[in-house]
Amino acid sequence: MHKRALGAAALTGAAALVLAGCGGGSSTTSSSTSASSTTSASTETSSSSSTSAAAPAEVDTKDPSRADADLVIWADADRAPILTKYADQFAQENGITVAVQIATETRKQFGDATKVGKGPDIVVGAHDWLGELVQNGTVAPIQLDEATAAKFAPAAMTASKFNGQNYGVPFSVENIALVRNTDLAPDAPATMDDLLKAAKAAKAKDSKVSVLLDQAVGKTGNAYYTYPWLSAYGGGIFALKDNGDYDADKVIVNSAESLKGAEQLAMMGKEKVLSTNVGDDNAEGIFTGGKAPFFITGPWSIPNIKKAGINYAISSLPSLPGGDAMKPFLGVQLFYVSAKAKNAALAQEFVTNYVPTKDFQLAIFAAGGRPPALTEAYDEVAAANPDVKAWYEAGKDGKPMPNIPAMNSVWGPLGQAAADVIAGKAEPKARFDAAQKEIEKAIKASS
Amino acid sequence: MSNVTDAAAIAIPEGRTATAKSPRAAGSGQWWRHALGVIALLWALFPIVFLVSAALNPAGSLQTSSLIPSGSSLANFRTLFGDSSRPYVDWYKNSMIIATVGSLGSVFIGACAAYAFSRMRFAGRRPGLLALLLLQMFPAMLTFPALYLTFAKVGDIVPALGLNSIWALILCYLGGAMGANVWLLKGYFDTVPKELDEAAKVDGASHARIFFTMTLRLVMPILVTVFMLSFVGLFSEFLLASIFLQDVNSQTLGVGLYSMSIGNEKNRLFGQFASGALLASLPVVLLYLGFQRFLIGGMTQGSVK
Amino acid sequence: MAAVPSSLEPVKLGSGYNTPWWAHAIKWGLLALVLAAGLFVVQKLVANGSWFGVVITAFILTCVLAVYSTRRAVPMKYLLPGLVLLVTLQIWPIVYTVATAFTNYGQGHVLSKEDATAQSIAQSVKEVEGSERYKLSIAVPEGSDVATGDLVFLLTGADGKMQVGTKDGLTELSADGVEKTDTGKITKAPGYTILNAKEANSRSADLEAFAVPVSTSAGIKAVGLSGAFQGAPTLTYDKAADTLTDTVSKEVYSPQNAYWATADGKRLPTGWKENVGSRNFSDLLTNPTIRAGFFKIFLWNVAFAALSVASTFLLGMLLALLFNDEKMKGKGLYRSLLILPYAIPGFVTALVWASMFNQEFGLVNSLTHLNIDWLGNAWAAKAAILIANLWLGFPYMFLVCTGALQSIPGDVKEAAKIDGANAFRTLRSIIMPLLLVAVGPLLIASFAFNFNNFSLIYLLTQGGPFATDNTSIGSTDLLITYAFRLAFSGASPNIGLASAVCIFIFFIVAAMSYSGFRRTKSLEEVN
Repeated sequence: MHKRALGAAALTGAAALVLAGCGGGSSTTSSSTSASSTTSASTETSSSSSTSAAAPAEVDTKDPSRADADLVIWADADRAPILTKYADQFAQENGITVAVQIATETRKQFGDATKVGKGPDIVVGAHDWLGELVQNGTVAPIQLDEATAAKFAPAAMTASKFNGQNYGVPFSVENIALVRNTDLAPDAPATMDDLLKAAKAAKAKDSKVSVLLDQAVGKTGNAYYTYPWLSAYGGGIFALKDNGDYDADKVIVNSAESLKGAEQLAMMGKEKVLSTNVGDDNAEGIFTGGKAPFFITGPWSIPNIKKAGINYAISSLPSLPGGDAMKPFLGVQLFYVSAKAKNAALAQEFVTNYVPTKDFQLAIFAAGGRPPALTEAYDEVAAANPDVKAWYEAGKDGKPMPNIPAMNSVWGPLGQAAADVIAGKAEPKARFDAAQKEIEKAIKASS
Repeated sequence: MSNVTDAAAIAIPEGRTATAKSPRAAGSGQWWRHALGVIALLWALFPIVFLVSAALNPAGSLQTSSLIPSGSSLANFRTLFGDSSRPYVDWYKNSMIIATVGSLGSVFIGACAAYAFSRMRFAGRRPGLLALLLLQMFPAMLTFPALYLTFAKVGDIVPALGLNSIWALILCYLGGAMGANVWLLKGYFDTVPKELDEAAKVDGASHARIFFTMTLRLVMPILVTVFMLSFVGLFSEFLLASIFLQDVNSQTLGVGLYSMSIGNEKNRLFGQFASGALLASLPVVLLYLGFQRFLIGGMTQGSVK
Repeated sequence: MAAVPSSLEPVKLGSGYNTPWWAHAIKWGLLALVLAAGLFVVQKLVANGSWFGVVITAFILTCVLAVYSTRRAVPMKYLLPGLVLLVTLQIWPIVYTVATAFTNYGQGHVLSKEDATAQSIAQSVKEVEGSERYKLSIAVPEGSDVATGDLVFLLTGADGKMQVGTKDGLTELSADGVEKTDTGKITKAPGYTILNAKEANSRSADLEAFAVPVSTSAGIKAVGLSGAFQGAPTLTYDKAADTLTDTVSKEVYSPQNAYWATADGKRLPTGWKENVGSRNFSDLLTNPTIRAGFFKIFLWNVAFAALSVASTFLLGMLLALLFNDEKMKGKGLYRSLLILPYAIPGFVTALVWASMFNQEFGLVNSLTHLNIDWLGNAWAAKAAILIANLWLGFPYMFLVCTGALQSIPGDVKEAAKIDGANAFRTLRSIIMPLLLVAVGPLLIASFAFNFNNFSLIYLLTQGGPFATDNTSIGSTDLLITYAFRLAFSGASPNIGLASAVCIFIFFIVAAMSYSGFRRTKSLEEVN
């Protein structure tokens, strides 16, 4: 009986890799690179939600007819119920049957099932899966006409493209921003200096406050949260090609601009603003426990903040000394059509004619609480919901997270470099030079 | 060492069991056992207190620097049972079926094999035993794709044994049953004196009759132990299960809970997750409580011998 | 099930035992059932054309018949069920994995070459620039079968112009008798039967292949059921030359390293799976990073596995002994609570441990008033791993030892006591050896398990902390976590390579276990 409780072997993360032959899976990106829970931060299907458990009861999870339904859609547990409603409407209008099924680890399961011919026709997922999905040949292009494409936020459309081809229809955009505890810090800080001043004041006032700026770092670092520090100075991860795509051959982790960010991180570590003891696992608990006035996080944290009874407000990330505002990565949620869809015609019909409608996008918003990707729907939501507006504003200048496969080589080394610099274990320049070398080597090894 | 073993072998036929019968009077000299027992409990339980605390905390986060729950409500449990997208009750049921059937099957297959290895002599016996042990050392994780592909195909022929079927999953678990348990079982079978078999044989009993009516009863404690171990292993197994079971309703506790602990939503679901994890420990503990008397007491009456 | 005979006597079987009739009935009944199920499967397999499956099933059935219907091969009667399952569900997957080690299977190398080529062409479909979009109705000529008839596209342009598209090209559609929706989609046209959504969908494969030719290169293709665009793949496959040509840029792609690539290194994203011989193995042996890190990791790996087994066994055994006293009150409760760490899924408690070891916010430091960077310092992290693993693993040993203790006769202990041996000596020279005989093989299995204990490391430290110049070798890395990082940290995770690594690991663990085995008495007991 060697199958002990712990893992009866090992983590699904790794199994996912093994099984799907797929790379840095969302939550599993970390397993490859070991460092980026980040990816999960933004890629693992995310839906937060106000309505978490308030799912309608009629989700067809049983679905005896996976093979028989005229259209099979996979979505995460939070969106599936709402999707079911619209799928039913679509089914009625077209005289067909639709099955919406809940996938728990969508990325992995989609790859596995598609390979053996048991996959869905449509799958809901994050845009940074795209590179991998195309590499594995599991998704089909979607020929959106220009007029429809123009209805979406431009960044969302960029995110659904790979190598100039469009593969998805977006429905939400998410990014991190600055969330503050308004009892501790009433005003939104425009600069990091303001933020620190306000945080220190809060600490002086309330003995419970022990963390000035709550941001997930962790012992192995977190590249997703590191990126805005680099972007504030114009640095980043990959340089852009002329057509606006990320260039896997030009890593700019140790560019002069990125290094300014790294130095800033080092300073934050030295002044005990950021700490490797704050990570993905406890950052939210620290904020909901009232121990931090400021929290850099995404919409996924809001339900717990509300539940904990914290008065909060959302604002854009502050600007850094001598630089611009920190710009976060954008994560875009898409509807993909499987390359092996048995019902390709209906699947294409659904994503090109139903997903880009206001009603649909509004309904999905209700389930997930993320700003809709369709401009018209966003405008309506933003007018009534200040949080959504704030998230959107915070991500306005952000760029979509790279969806090129080379990104898999970045999460680990960059995250760890940031963690080491924050922990004071290494000098920013030397450490980021090393990270650059490591990333370049990994990218080269796989090409 | 071999002397000792011999001594044991000789002693067994008329021996009693190990539970020490202290010559001293009951009650005295026991306090230190309780003292150590309490220390052991503290060690075993304090991490679990966090889970309890998180389960009772409506905000459901892990407050790791204090042991006292910062709130107390059953909200998380209500959410747990009310979330139709994460059907906890179904998961529980599936896990119970898989663990019970799988463990019974494991015990049976293991016991049969152990009987053969312990009582019979045949070509390939020693290498076979060794091979079974060494086979366990292949990193199992890597072999899952093959299982997945196999069962995707099997499902086309016999849908009841395809992907998404807990029966196919049970079958997979049984594949490892012989290798995993045969050593533990055989070790115990060896302690049952062969003279008993021989006596029965002289009386004309068939090997099957000896096995089913005599040996199995004599080795019951180890069967129960193996059952327990298998049950625990299968009840929370999620790695293979998550590959096999994709329909939410056919998933197990291990898969369901694990999927709640990853991704962006893990913090939001943490309270629900903690309460689910706590409830998941109940069957194992209850099973142990139920079996314990038998497990320990079964042989105290000088049974075998 | 507590029906254990109270003494040997009741077990004494009377003379002349004949197997009762019902035992025979059950045996033959089961055999018939297995046979019937087998034949049912065979029949299905035949219908499906899976001859390989037929052979396997037939072979298994023959074995079952041969073993159970005769009086021979008695050991086999007991081994067969386990053996069949073992071979089909454990050995076959291992064989498959070994085979994978000789391929490049991994991200981007999933499909066959044929399929990858088809996908590449499908991915290259581009809309003709400046071309218009149409409203589409899918139809067949009136009178032909909706399931098989030639597809016809009834198109409405942005300007309202209606056309009929067939595989031969576009013709005008006269407005006579035509009905349209507000958006312009044609719902009725004389001479054509318009397919409803279900009918059209069932012809998805035909639609995929269908295009209304409008120029030498481009055609009108459907987007879903109600729209159409003018487009064409920009890649064409030349079967004879085995090349893909980009019709726009005129670049020629040929197969290189299981990708379509141009001479100057530009390549298409979708690659294919192919055999690479022993490349994965030679890569491993010649990789300088691997050689540099291997020894350090190997030492820690052995130490980790050995210490984990030793610590969990010692604690488990001592606790088993502690509660192995008949007179102790409440030991049932103690025992049940002690197995709680084992009863809660391991990944749950590993998460809890990770947060308890937090330097600033964790309980371990705050209770002990230490300020150890448990997860950030190389040695502290090793200690943290061992502590957490002790907690996770001791109940298993406790259970096993409690069970095994039952097989140690009390007389041995009493004899020792009479000889004047103190408790410690009794334990060390009598109980321990006996226990070791019983659980020895389990300790070896436990060693093997811990040697590859991926999940613990992954959940607690992810292999870290890492040296500041190299995130590929962590201080708490095991060979398996290291191997996985190696195989997966590139931009294209490589399952083939990971399989090769696992084969190496298997030989290492097996060799060590085997030698450990030789040392213990266990094998002699096997005789």
